[in-house]
Amino acid sequence: MIHRLAWVSWVGGTLVVLSTTRNPLYLALTLACIAAVGMRVRSESWAGPASVSPLRFGLVVISLSTLFNALTVHIGRIVLFRLPAWLPLLGGPITLEALVYGFLNGVALTGIFAAFTVLNQALPVRSLVRLVPRAFHQVAVVMSIAVTYVPTTLRQFQQIREAQAIRGHRTRGLRDWIPLFVPLLIGGLERALQLAEAMIARGFASSGERGHDTLTRLVIAQGLLVLLIGWLLRLVWNQRILGLALMLAGSGLVLAALWVIGRRVPHTDYRPEPWTGRDWAVVLGAAVAVAPFLLPLPGLGRETIFYYPYPALTLPGFDPIIGIAILGLTVPALLSRKPSVVSDHQRKLEKLSSDPL
Amino acid sequence: MKERPLSLTIYGLSTLLGMMAFLYPFLLPAVQRESIMGRARAQDAPLLLTVLVGVCFVALLLEVQAQAGGAKLVALLGILVSINSILRFVEVAIPGPGGLSPIFFLIVLTGYVYGGGFGFLMGSMTLLVSGLITGSVGPWLPYQMFTAGWIGLSAPMCRPLVNLLGGRGKWPEVVILAVFGAVWGLVFGAIMNIWFWPFAMGPASQHWQPGMGMTDVISRYLAFYVVTSLAWDMTRLVGNVVLILAFGMPTLRALRRFERRFAYTYQPDAQVVL
Amino acid sequence: MILFDHVTYTYPEAPGPALRDISLHLPEAALTLLVGPSGAGKSTLLRCTNGLVPHFSGGSLQGSITVNGLNPVTATPEIMSRHVGFVFQDPEAQFVMNQVEDEIAFALENAAIPPQEMRVRVEEVLDLLDLAPLRQRRLETLSGGERQRVAIAAALAFRPRVLVLDEPTSQLDPKSAEDVLQALVRLNADLGLTVLLAEHRLERVLPFVDQLVSLPGNGHDTLAGPPRQVLPRLELVPPLVALAKRLEWDPLPLTIKEGMSFSRQLRERVVAPEHRPEPARSNGPYLRMRDVKVAYDAQPVVRGVDLDVWPGEIVVLMGRNGSGKTTLLKSLVGLIRPQAGRVKVSGQDISGKDVAHICRQVGYLPQDPNALLFANSVLEELTITLRNHGFETDRPADLPINPETLLDRLGLAEKANCYPRDLSVGERQRVALGAVTVTQPGALLLDEPTRGLDYGAKQALVDLLRGWRDAGMAILLVTHDVEFAAAAADRVALMSQGEIIASGAPAPVLGASPLFAPQVARLFPESGWLTVEDSLKHLS
Repeated sequence: MIHRLAWVSWVGGTLVVLSTTRNPLYLALTLACIAAVGMRVRSESWAGPASVSPLRFGLVVISLSTLFNALTVHIGRIVLFRLPAWLPLLGGPITLEALVYGFLNGVALTGIFAAFTVLNQALPVRSLVRLVPRAFHQVAVVMSIAVTYVPTTLRQFQQIREAQAIRGHRTRGLRDWIPLFVPLLIGGLERALQLAEAMIARGFASSGERGHDTLTRLVIAQGLLVLLIGWLLRLVWNQRILGLALMLAGSGLVLAALWVIGRRVPHTDYRPEPWTGRDWAVVLGAAVAVAPFLLPLPGLGRETIFYYPYPALTLPGFDPIIGIAILGLTVPALLSRKPSVVSDHQRKLEKLSSDPL
Repeated sequence: MKERPLSLTIYGLSTLLGMMAFLYPFLLPAVQRESIMGRARAQDAPLLLTVLVGVCFVALLLEVQAQAGGAKLVALLGILVSINSILRFVEVAIPGPGGLSPIFFLIVLTGYVYGGGFGFLMGSMTLLVSGLITGSVGPWLPYQMFTAGWIGLSAPMCRPLVNLLGGRGKWPEVVILAVFGAVWGLVFGAIMNIWFWPFAMGPASQHWQPGMGMTDVISRYLAFYVVTSLAWDMTRLVGNVVLILAFGMPTLRALRRFERRFAYTYQPDAQVVL
Repeated sequence: MILFDHVTYTYPEAPGPALRDISLHLPEAALTLLVGPSGAGKSTLLRCTNGLVPHFSGGSLQGSITVNGLNPVTATPEIMSRHVGFVFQDPEAQFVMNQVEDEIAFALENAAIPPQEMRVRVEEVLDLLDLAPLRQRRLETLSGGERQRVAIAAALAFRPRVLVLDEPTSQLDPKSAEDVLQALVRLNADLGLTVLLAEHRLERVLPFVDQLVSLPGNGHDTLAGPPRQVLPRLELVPPLVALAKRLEWDPLPLTIKEGMSFSRQLRERVVAPEHRPEPARSNGPYLRMRDVKVAYDAQPVVRGVDLDVWPGEIVVLMGRNGSGKTTLLKSLVGLIRPQAGRVKVSGQDISGKDVAHICRQVGYLPQDPNALLFANSVLEELTITLRNHGFETDRPADLPINPETLLDRLGLAEKANCYPRDLSVGERQRVALGAVTVTQPGALLLDEPTRGLDYGAKQALVDLLRGWRDAGMAILLVTHDVEFAAAAADRVALMSQGEIIASGAPAPVLGASPLFAPQVARLFPESGWLTVEDSLKHLS
């Protein structure tokens, strides 16, 4: 298993690449990396197939985005045809440039969606829950409870439906759902009381902490204020560097408060997920892939990143070094599979029971 | 007591920042009409905004969580969120133009009865957990959580109006909540679109180009909105209204019946303890 | 170990105290059984030991409690969780995580126990409760008994000195219940763990009990002491004890083995069982199944069952878990449509009729009556059913029965305006019974109706069902409860692997079975006696 934080860095890397460039060659390369990792993950996944496949999502989004951009952006040299000018918004020249740009946007969006689909399949829900920062420990417990009680609630709903059918209930109109929904809700509230008791009996704090201390909250408020000022500087007064620095500082303050509060929450983990060399490899790969897009590295054809089809469509440039860097995103697909601790039979069981419906 | 102003400051600042992030595509042309740098700047928009919204969300959640801790509320939230996440399956299961989502109904009502902090957690956790179990975690998640949280957070605003128009348990109460749900049905869609908008428009953004004024941006956004989501949002609006009108009364009764049971605490000073 | 000194406790907004002047002393390493009718304050008393009362429930408490040297009220439940492990009634409502190991570790993680130590403790309790093979399983894939064992393991993770259990087997079938109780007895005997247990199934634990505490409720005095001292003063006891008390066996036997030494001397008075005459059956059966087959996912669950239930008889269907009993009931009202075979109600084939229509003639009480109840008052639950079936409830003359009359017969007349969910388990079940029988159906099906009921409520249910039977109703009930079956049945059918393997009068079917024989039949084999009444008729 690759560590959850390593996965997060991988997704972060793909996000940065996909939202920075519109060069079709780099986009295609990134998509290929995601597909490779996706295929690898799928063969080992605990979860069932994704609820919406990235292919289907892509088809819809790419066609929508292409159409919308072509119809509403009337910039570009290569005019395909013209719509009458009296049409609001749509009227004017329809250009190949706008069409291509819309298409590329759709492709980038599809990539983002696909990267998250991979993440969803790679990490069991338990690991996703553990991504919640320590400071939000209570939130993480809420998540665990919610996930745990989904099958119970579904079974409950089935029982209620049968019980109401028995007393002559038929669902014809909307209000006929009241006898189904209200017992579900009341049953849930009753169960919540029992569960709260059970949690308290096992040492869970019966009352919330009386708010964080004033100092930490002051830091949070200040962080937000600094963030706001920095952003305004950047946005309104064009102080790009100073603005960014202040924004970073502000975010830093809030995150520091998050860390401090988290450290005060007493908690240990039953299943330590060890951070191994494999995880370093994933992070390194993502860092390599991201570097040309974020850092002004000398000697690179950075202008190829900011490919832009307007005002006239040109062939996109390609810097092989950037191309190789992007391949850093394939690292999770290349890592050898560790012998699984869990037997195949067990996995089958898990798969069967993980299907929520 | 300085707790309250501090609390309000955090709520206020994070809400302001969040709103600015959401309205960013419209702010940009307004503040940078004369700039030539717009294109480069707009490049970092989607990522920057996601990070920004994330930070605001963290700040808000820290503030809310501190007030809504404890086993009773954690258990209550967990169970209600799991019920609501199942309702989300209904949304996923209905084919065709979606938008009709039964999850907002319970977010509005729990926020209204159990308070804004609870509503905020209910809203954001519902989106998070249902995202987890339907496998749809994505960059849109912070926005969804933030917005759904706002729905719950703002629900107690209906209380004064309800008190003015006859109070608890009368029909105006449900009507007011239905109107509230209707408004949020539209706003939720619009906000989710604004998130999607810079992504859809690409980094070297066309949502702002040199010489393009705010009205152009808005008219383009409106076109985008009509094309992509008006139908969705209208069904969401209608769905919220119908659900609240149909289920509002019995649900409020059930929530209130348990309100006191969850509120019981033990005051040692009042007892004879040996 | 556990000391109650003049404890009185009142719930918030309650008219009177739930516990009144309780004084108790429970020694270390003792297995204590707490008995009493529902509503007598058993749960409240248990919750005093770890501070849930009054910290969770509010209210006012007088007197002093000491558990393991601590006062739970001042120590708070958080501290008490290290000293008292607590297990609740419903295995479905006490879990936070969805996997066995994670659930056991949950409390340890929250208490920031170092990971090394945590591993050791988890392994420990997994072994103590025989859960090691299940460690990776998801909780929803476990049976009720396995889940309850996980709950016990989780409660023991802190290595508490005291284990408190609030009716841990009331939602379980007898096999699972036995697993859980055996685990408790072992923990008590091997580790010297102090166990305090509230339980309805006395017969299984009595032999191992050191101390019996009876909370009779209604202001009567609390009784405490060794079982042989307390049992003679209790009214509602297992059949073995009831019989022994009536026949003045001394010392009081607690197991069948002990009872045998007395019953053996009475063998000569056992006469060959008289043959109960078959009831005259003028018309056809009310419910008729012919060669009914049901399968889920190509897995046969019911394989060709023939079954008739006639008006004026109570048929009890028994069998182990998963033998297809519930499926059979559901296919009688159309909730499950059989793949093959015919189901007739009152002479008419039900295929093609919807559930609502069938249930006009067949009342069906599901396992969990709570699933039925959602109205604001008991009376409303009944009128809702009537309206569902298209009756005008404001014209009493057209109704099959006046709802208030029915409530009166159910013993719920005073509760007509109460909120159904606030009632006791037994009362809630009667409300649900009212809701499914207010159309005056000709047949009634009941699925595990004794779950969570105390002896008194069971007896009330038997009386009610007999009354309806005598009025000509055809009653089919599924139960695991051997004594209840012996008391209620006119005819018994045993089911296994989707087939009915034996059917007939209760005495030959139940009396001969090593698994399903009630206590009296075990004491007097081949007598044909099933209940205390049967045997007393001949012996006294």
